[in-house]
Amino acid sequence: MLRRLAVAGLGVLALAGPAAAQGVNRPYATLPDWSGVWQMNGNTVFDHSTVEPPNGAAGVANVRERPPYNAEWEAKYQANIKKIAADRWPDPLTFCGVPAGFPRALNVPDTYEFVLRPEQAWILTENGPNVVRIYTDGRKHPPADEVWDTYSGDSVGHWEGDTLVFDTIATRGEGSTIIDRTGVIHSNALHVMTRMHKVDANTLEAQMTLEDSVAFTKPWVVTKRYHKLPAGSRAYDYACSENNRNLVAPSGKTLTLGSDGKPIDKDQ
Amino acid sequence: MSQSKAVAALALGCVFLAGQAQAHHSFAMFDRTRDVVLKGTVREFQWTNPHSFIELEVVDPGGTVTGFAIEMNSPNNLTRQGWKSSSLKPGDKVLLTMSPLRDGSKGGLFQAVQLPDGRVLGDLAHAPSAVSKPG
Repeated sequence: MLRRLAVAGLGVLALAGPAAAQGVNRPYATLPDWSGVWQMNGNTVFDHSTVEPPNGAAGVANVRERPPYNAEWEAKYQANIKKIAADRWPDPLTFCGVPAGFPRALNVPDTYEFVLRPEQAWILTENGPNVVRIYTDGRKHPPADEVWDTYSGDSVGHWEGDTLVFDTIATRGEGSTIIDRTGVIHSNALHVMTRMHKVDANTLEAQMTLEDSVAFTKPWVVTKRYHKLPAGSRAYDYACSENNRNLVAPSGKTLTLGSDGKPIDKDQ
Repeated sequence: MSQSKAVAALALGCVFLAGQAQAHHSFAMFDRTRDVVLKGTVREFQWTNPHSFIELEVVDPGGTVTGFAIEMNSPNNLTRQGWKSSSLKPGDKVLLTMSPLRDGSKGGLFQAVQLPDGRVLGDLAHAPSAVSKPG
């Protein structure tokens, strides 16, 4: 037994040496401390730097950002904006049961937890809930003929100092996931490069560079920040189906059910 | 800073967070440019995900009782804003501010409530006393 442990220990040492230099399989004790319960700064508009009007909130009529869309996708965005103004653009999350997907998982309300392990980093969102798994063990994305599009995509990463750098592909996009409720969507050609680091003891920052060869004319760089909630804060269950009184009508309108289970809405 | 000012500042901080916290659907159905104040009796306080709800009964001058469904944040967020599952009880007579459903249906998005003992929970800027007389 002891010998087996010793052999395992040598294995870890052997990995830690050269691998750590490349920022993968970084020994647990050397990982930065991202413990605690966190919350995104600001509202759920994805790109606060381009939102119009300034400080506009997602879901309010005619609030928009400036993704570097080509003409075809700008037209799609404008169509979504019109539907939102008419309350006819349901958020996929309203149906309960599907993940927010990536990069939206870094743009949700409620709490976040960031779990760092030598071989993986996990982003846990209370809302959803969602888990984003980032492999930091040196693996690459699966070959093109083995990967399929999922809500959260496939993320692989490494450490550059105390910055977690990860690369995400194989997300679903249009028709399945959205980025925010102003109507921002992307295609399944999306490729996101994310750099996350701690700015100070109570602030984490994620800088995302989004490339979408189908929808964008150039990369879209968006920075999000997260603040640490007071010590002792908890994250809780989020059970979307527990008491979902907001079904979606065939028209796309989000309904409100009365306590008798029937929609109270005059206009459906 | 006096203690009361500090408490007010803390409460405003909570309000700041509360304003951002949305749950599982777009709030495009609510007219967030309008505050409507209701005077009524709590029939039920649903402490549930994805949204908590206050079922409020409002009696008009003619004696007709109308039920309103007031949609709130998740209990997870409400807890972090100082709420408890016992903060409201059936039978509580309250003043409540909501952003109404845009189509005029009997419901809205919760903004603030004044409890029987005068305490206000929610967004103080939208406290019933700060908005208007009950309609």
